[in-house]
Amino acid sequence: MLKKIFNWLMQPIGLIAVGIAFLSVFSAAVYGISLTQQTPPQPIEFPHQTHVQFGIQCLYCHPGAAKGPAAGIPSQAKCWACHNQIEKTATSELLAPLKDAVLNGESIQWVPVAIVPDFVQFNHRAHVAAGKNCEDCHGDMSKVNIAENPQVMNMGWCLNCHIETAGEDQEKLIKLTDCGTCHY
Amino acid sequence: MTTLSDLKISEVKLAAEEGGKWGMVIDQDICTGCQACVAACAMENNIPFVGEEDSGYGRAMHWIRIERFWEGEYPEIKMTNQQPMMCQQCGSAPCEPVCPAFATVHSQAEELNLQVYNRCVGTRYCANNCPYQVRTFNWRDYERPEPLPNQFNPDVTVRRRGVMEKCTFCIQRIHKAQDKAKSEGRDVMDGEFTTACAQACPSNAITFGRIDKEDTLVYNMIHHGHSHGKKHLEELGTLPNIVYMNGNGAA
Repeated sequence: MLKKIFNWLMQPIGLIAVGIAFLSVFSAAVYGISLTQQTPPQPIEFPHQTHVQFGIQCLYCHPGAAKGPAAGIPSQAKCWACHNQIEKTATSELLAPLKDAVLNGESIQWVPVAIVPDFVQFNHRAHVAAGKNCEDCHGDMSKVNIAENPQVMNMGWCLNCHIETAGEDQEKLIKLTDCGTCHY
Repeated sequence: MTTLSDLKISEVKLAAEEGGKWGMVIDQDICTGCQACVAACAMENNIPFVGEEDSGYGRAMHWIRIERFWEGEYPEIKMTNQQPMMCQQCGSAPCEPVCPAFATVHSQAEELNLQVYNRCVGTRYCANNCPYQVRTFNWRDYERPEPLPNQFNPDVTVRRRGVMEKCTFCIQRIHKAQDKAKSEGRDVMDGEFTTACAQACPSNAITFGRIDKEDTLVYNMIHHGHSHGKKHLEELGTLPNIVYMNGNGAA
């Protein structure tokens, strides 16, 4: 039985069938991986680029980054403070969800992009205080529209930077590579 | 002539005087056994409620428990002081070398026994090797009916099924205090923060703080306070960092 199948597969038509099967599995895998690398759909296609070009600082909308663990995603009240003075807001189709949210008093369900798992305790404040700039981890927002991760945020990436930052300072290296610094 | 066992004990005492960063003093004479620390710990550290059935199998999850003992023969029995028992944050912990996944490791920075949940594969060797029996295992993903998830502590991982967990000396509070102190450009002050159990204790039987600095409350309680302070199972060479003070009528 197995011999029969093998012989059939060794024919030209069998080889083509094997090729097609391999290609379809391979392309499905590539498609699956590419899905995980795409930026998630947001309720509003928020153009970071435009806002940065107007000279708005990161900390204006994400003030938590300098103070505590979470940078924070602004509520629509913060958007509205500027946008209710902008004529285009009333007519723009892209901004319709913002207008609806403000008029109905519902919050906009933004999808967080830069996230770490629950078992990682990340603190923005310590990183900002250590002299890290936002773009070191989040990429240059003046070049992207919808926020995306410039790199895979995994533990190897964290540790590389921690070891580099510690340098020759042994005490700092112990603190920055200690499991209990991030996992508890 | 010194025997081998004498040698070991003297070595242990020497190392115990040197080691440790964070420590705790528990005064059993004033502990009333009210279980406030047990409740506070469960709230602070997102400890699940296992329910009646699993509790019956001995799977109850507590990072701190109140132990009760009796002295004498029935009917002439006398209850001894209540004894809160939690992870002793051993300087030389028996749980650490037996972990095949290096999930329970010794923190060099804070000198605590860490439990890294994402590394733990649930072999439970550490719990079997702990002489204090203070490690608990997540046998299931225990259900938390609404609105209980609203009281999760965001600073602590919510553990999933199949991982071991234990008292961390509220390491999230240690980090928070250190972070706050650093942002204000100073060192962490003694008594600036405390663990959940110590905070909740109505009779102040639990005191938490640094034991490696001479000007802290805990250091002075251990070295100049009570004459009955002792560490549990110290003879095993575990170098525990919790001192129990128990006069038990002796004073």
